[in-house]
Amino acid sequence: MMQWLYKLGSPRHFYEMTTGFIPWLAGVSVLLLIIGLVWGLGFAPPDYQMGDNFRIIYIHVPIATGGIGAYVMMALMAAMYMVWNIKMADIVAKVCAPVGAAYCMAGLITGAFWGKPTWGTYWMWDAKLTSYLILFFLFVGVMALRAAFDSENASSKAASVLAIVGVVNVPIIYYSVEWWNTLHQGASKLSLRDGAANPPEIWVPAFFTGFAVIGLYFLAVIMRSRNEILYRERRAQWVQDLLKTELANV
Amino acid sequence: MFKFQFNSVADFFAMGIYGFYVWVAYGAFFAVILWNWWQPRMERRRIVRLLRARGERQQEQQGGNATSATQQQSAQQ
Repeated sequence: MMQWLYKLGSPRHFYEMTTGFIPWLAGVSVLLLIIGLVWGLGFAPPDYQMGDNFRIIYIHVPIATGGIGAYVMMALMAAMYMVWNIKMADIVAKVCAPVGAAYCMAGLITGAFWGKPTWGTYWMWDAKLTSYLILFFLFVGVMALRAAFDSENASSKAASVLAIVGVVNVPIIYYSVEWWNTLHQGASKLSLRDGAANPPEIWVPAFFTGFAVIGLYFLAVIMRSRNEILYRERRAQWVQDLLKTELANV
Repeated sequence: MFKFQFNSVADFFAMGIYGFYVWVAYGAFFAVILWNWWQPRMERRRIVRLLRARGERQQEQQGGNATSATQQQSAQQ
C-alpha cells in the first residue's frame, strides 16, 4: 500500500497507472449517474412541501459538497507540496482548482434555482451562501495567482500558500447553518424507516448521484493531471517515446 | 418504491409547476459535468500537438541526426 502511494508520487508512474483506469472510472460514474438521475427524477416520490422542485437536491447536494471537498483536497496537496516538495502533489493541487471552481459554480446555480420557488429568492446574503461564494472566489484567486508568475516554482508556492490559508473558510461554510440564523437549512437527518421525515425512497437515489459526482470529480482531476504531467515532463525520454507510440494519433 | 411518479411525458417535463427551475438547474449541472470532461480532452490534444511540433522542429535543426531532441535540450540547459 505504502509502495503504491509512493509510486503515485512519481509523475511517470501516476501517468502509467492511470492509463487503464480512466475508462473504468468514467463508465462506473456515468452508470451511477444514470441510475441516480432516473430514480431521482422519475421514481422518487415528490416532497410534500416542495413538490417536484426538491428533485434539484439530487444534484445540488453532491456537486456543492464536491466543491468543498475539492478545496480540501487542493489545500492538502498544497501542504504536501510545501512540506515535502512532492511535484505530483503540486500538479494535483493545480488541477483541483478549475474542477472545484466548476463544481462551485454548479452548486451556486442549482442552489439558486432551487431557492427561488422554495425561499422566494435566487440569492440572499445569507451566511452559508456568502461563505460558499467566497469559496468560489478562493478557487478563482488560486488560479489567478498561479497564472501571475513566470516561474513555475514561484507560482506553485504562491498558489499553495493561498490555498492553505483559504481552508479557514471550509469550517465556516460547514458550521454557518449552526452559528448563524441562516436561510439555508442544515443537513437533513436520514432515516431507514418508512414514513419517517426522510425515508429511503427519498435519499437512496442521492447516494447514486453522490458517488457519481465524486467519481466524475476524480476523473476530471486525473485527466487534467495527466495533461499537466505530459507538459512538465516534456523533456523526459518516456514522454518523447509516448509521443511516437501511444500519442502518435492524438 | 419503484412507481413512476408522472402520468405522461408532458407531465414529467412539467415537474408539477417547477419545470423551469428543475430543468435550468439540471442544465447547469450537465454543462459543468460535460465541460469537466471535454476541456481536458481538448487540452490533451493541444499539448500533444505542441510537443510533437517542437520535436519535429528540433529534428530538422539537427538535420535528421539520430541524437534525440531530449538529449540536445538537456545539454543546452
